[in-house]
Amino acid sequence: MSEHLLSATQMAQFVASGYLKFEDMVPRDLCEACLDEMQNNRGYLAVGTPFETTWPKGTALGEAFRLPQVQGLIQSLVGPDPLYDHHAAHLVKGGVMKGPDMHQDSVIDFRENYYDIQLSLFPADTPDEMGGTFLIPGTQFRNVRTSEITMYQHMRGKIWANCTAGTMYVWNTRVWHGARSNHTEKDRYMYKLRLNPTQPQTRLFDMTDLDNADVAKALSHNHGWEGNEHRYELMRRVQLWRFVSDQPDYDIGERFLRRREYNPAAA
Amino acid sequence: MPDVQDVLVLFQTTPGLDAAVVAWSRYEASKGPGIKDLVEEEEPPYRNAIAAMRDGWQVIQMSEMKHRPPGDDAYEDGPLPYQTVLSRFNPMVTDDSEE
Repeated sequence: MSEHLLSATQMAQFVASGYLKFEDMVPRDLCEACLDEMQNNRGYLAVGTPFETTWPKGTALGEAFRLPQVQGLIQSLVGPDPLYDHHAAHLVKGGVMKGPDMHQDSVIDFRENYYDIQLSLFPADTPDEMGGTFLIPGTQFRNVRTSEITMYQHMRGKIWANCTAGTMYVWNTRVWHGARSNHTEKDRYMYKLRLNPTQPQTRLFDMTDLDNADVAKALSHNHGWEGNEHRYELMRRVQLWRFVSDQPDYDIGERFLRRREYNPAAA
Repeated sequence: MPDVQDVLVLFQTTPGLDAAVVAWSRYEASKGPGIKDLVEEEEPPYRNAIAAMRDGWQVIQMSEMKHRPPGDDAYEDGPLPYQTVLSRFNPMVTDDSEE
């Protein structure tokens, strides 16, 4: 399993951008079997129960989310024994157009040192014109009420799934996102699975490259929308990085968090 | 038929009319009651509100400065902090499918 854990640099990218993309995560033949199962995959299983016991076995989707590389990803982000939260087979039928759709899932979530993950599997080739899910990387620290951000029709930094079958995105559930128009005649599926941690999300990834300069570079990334907010976003990222990497004094650049923490009068 | 009002909203991270645009939205009543198919736009229509004003858009709302509460609440992040709302009147585009 350890060979499939995220590196520290990848983990820093996840902390900063709120998502990671993995091509060829699920073999194409298994993807086709998953796609067949998705046609009749409705409803939730038991929310908040252990994933391993709840998630079906002996099915293509059961197998896909138990592949060693997927398990390594899950373990790196929410630990080896996550809880099942919910799943959904998202369908945008061929020819269905989408207007503004930006939203943040679920409810306002102020839990500090915590995040849920969503795994998004694209079981078929999803070219640009098919309208793969879009994300605004880096927005996971900005709490809003679900669909009020539909008012943001366009935003700098927007990316969307434009990928081959078997590609999987993993993302912090707070990232702003939405669906796009499907300009083809073919139905588009994206299979979503949300998981919760059962332990503090600390030191779960491969720490070997913890001191790599790429870590700070990834944490500092500017996605294009941050503008004057960038240093405040950076402070949020560093706070989460301190937690996941178990480095309570970590800071970067001008050490902005020190400006909140250093105060001889408070000692 | 008289011209109808189109609205352009420019979202910024500082409040001035010369602030860079980081997000943008169009409410173009002249073209229909809503956007049925959102076409991707990599760049905003104007670099800032002043550039839009020079193209005939009138500012109908600009942002006020924000007061920050003391303590950690000052760091709470939410929606993008500032916006400029602009208006321009344009001829109605007839679209039978919207009726």
